[in-house]
Amino acid sequence: MAHAAEHAIEETTTGLNHRKMLMWVFLGSDCMFFAALVATYMVYRGQSLTGPYPIDIIDVPITTISTFVLLCSSFAMVQALSATNRDDQRGIRIWLLATAVLGAIFIGFQIYEFNHFKNLGLTLGTNLFGATFFTLTGFHGAHVTVGIIWLLGMLVVAMKGRLGPASSLDVELVGLYWHFVDIVWIIIFTLLYLIAGFDAGPAALPGG
Amino acid sequence: MSSSHQTEQSHHPTFQQYVLVAIILFAITIVEFFAIFPDPNQIGAAKLPVLTILSAIKFAIVIMFYMHLKFDDRMFTVFFLAGLALAFLVGIAVLAMFTALDGEPRAFASAHAVPYAKGEHGGHGVEHIKPTAVPIPTVPPAVTTPTESAAPDVTATTAPEQAAEPSGGSGAGASIDIGTDGDALKFSTEALSAETGSQVTVNFNNGSSVNQHNWVLVQNGTKDAVATDGTAAGPGAAWVKPGDERVIVSSGLLNPGGSEAVTFTAPAAGTYQFVCTFPGHNFTMFGDFTVN
Repeated sequence: MAHAAEHAIEETTTGLNHRKMLMWVFLGSDCMFFAALVATYMVYRGQSLTGPYPIDIIDVPITTISTFVLLCSSFAMVQALSATNRDDQRGIRIWLLATAVLGAIFIGFQIYEFNHFKNLGLTLGTNLFGATFFTLTGFHGAHVTVGIIWLLGMLVVAMKGRLGPASSLDVELVGLYWHFVDIVWIIIFTLLYLIAGFDAGPAALPGG
Repeated sequence: MSSSHQTEQSHHPTFQQYVLVAIILFAITIVEFFAIFPDPNQIGAAKLPVLTILSAIKFAIVIMFYMHLKFDDRMFTVFFLAGLALAFLVGIAVLAMFTALDGEPRAFASAHAVPYAKGEHGGHGVEHIKPTAVPIPTVPPAVTTPTESAAPDVTATTAPEQAAEPSGGSGAGASIDIGTDGDALKFSTEALSAETGSQVTVNFNNGSSVNQHNWVLVQNGTKDAVATDGTAAGPGAAWVKPGDERVIVSSGLLNPGGSEAVTFTAPAAGTYQFVCTFPGHNFTMFGDFTVN
């Protein structure tokens, strides 16, 4: 659209598009946000005074599946951007919808996991593991949820036929956010599930 | 900058390249999974470095190709990596403050953790090896008649028969009802009494809708010490140290709404204490038991 086209030829002092620069700066700062939560988890790792401990409830196979789902959604996201650049209207809608649906499936896995953990006796207030685990994965889930809402908003715009090469940046920005959420999960999955997911109580220190 | 944008567009990966990237990401995830499954320690000391490197590779691939940093203006990479570097510093600083400068951070946890027995419904899927499996001692309930009924007055019917049993004592049996102060961490009364040598039945009804409670009769002034040892004994022992000589009699650990009749012979005349030994409750949930 005319508005978006203006952005594309916008002259700035840095020579960079300000919206895109803002997104990258935001993502850089969001790294620090998650780093603080991850560091808190690692500091309190193995310090819970009572169970359930990670080894009692963490289910690595199921979370591996949800990790695949999120990776697939990232692939769908790049296809959505690619379709936008080609002005493939049908492709834009399909891939944006696929990205949002895969993200929603990931959230579904997380809701199942949280509920399952609650039934096994782990809540935010049970022990340090519960407090740090739910805070970190919960904030990640909140980011995913924001991304889904954003994607659905873009889908509405796409349904009206208003997305195309001229508005490529609009799709690219949601894509950057979405991939960031994906890389944060790559870190969380490795640290909380693959490495710390087998931690027992403090009597036996983790072998990771 | 139109020129930079056009350059960027023309360098976007093709569909085939995106598929290849996706396959690489999937493959790495599968390798990671089988590095720790089915045995989390099957690759031993290599686990931490291998998983860290694989995860870093995935991270790099996503930001380079899916987020186009490889094809985009370098400034974007600088912005993001600056944030990432600061993030690492945040993490290292937090870990340093609480770990490196604070000695062994798990000493407190190791000394104070209470035994935890995984519930029957715990952990589906993988059978984990649990190195800390501690056998939980079970306390044989002394002379108690547990009735898990939610209706508290049902238990009272058993009391008269038991009280009628001659116990060598002088007095007739006494039946005492005690509950909780709603959901507060308090008993419904702070003073109970009985005749020495008499058969006493304490009908304890846990009226809380959320908390587990027990009723433990202990020597005067020992309630906190008994509770501390009970905490160490764990929930499997109903929060009472097995064989604790300061404990005269105790109920089991009652779920919300549960009740139990505890029958015992009143000890020598004097003042005793009753307390709930569930961790933390002993500070507010206790009272005096006077034997005349």
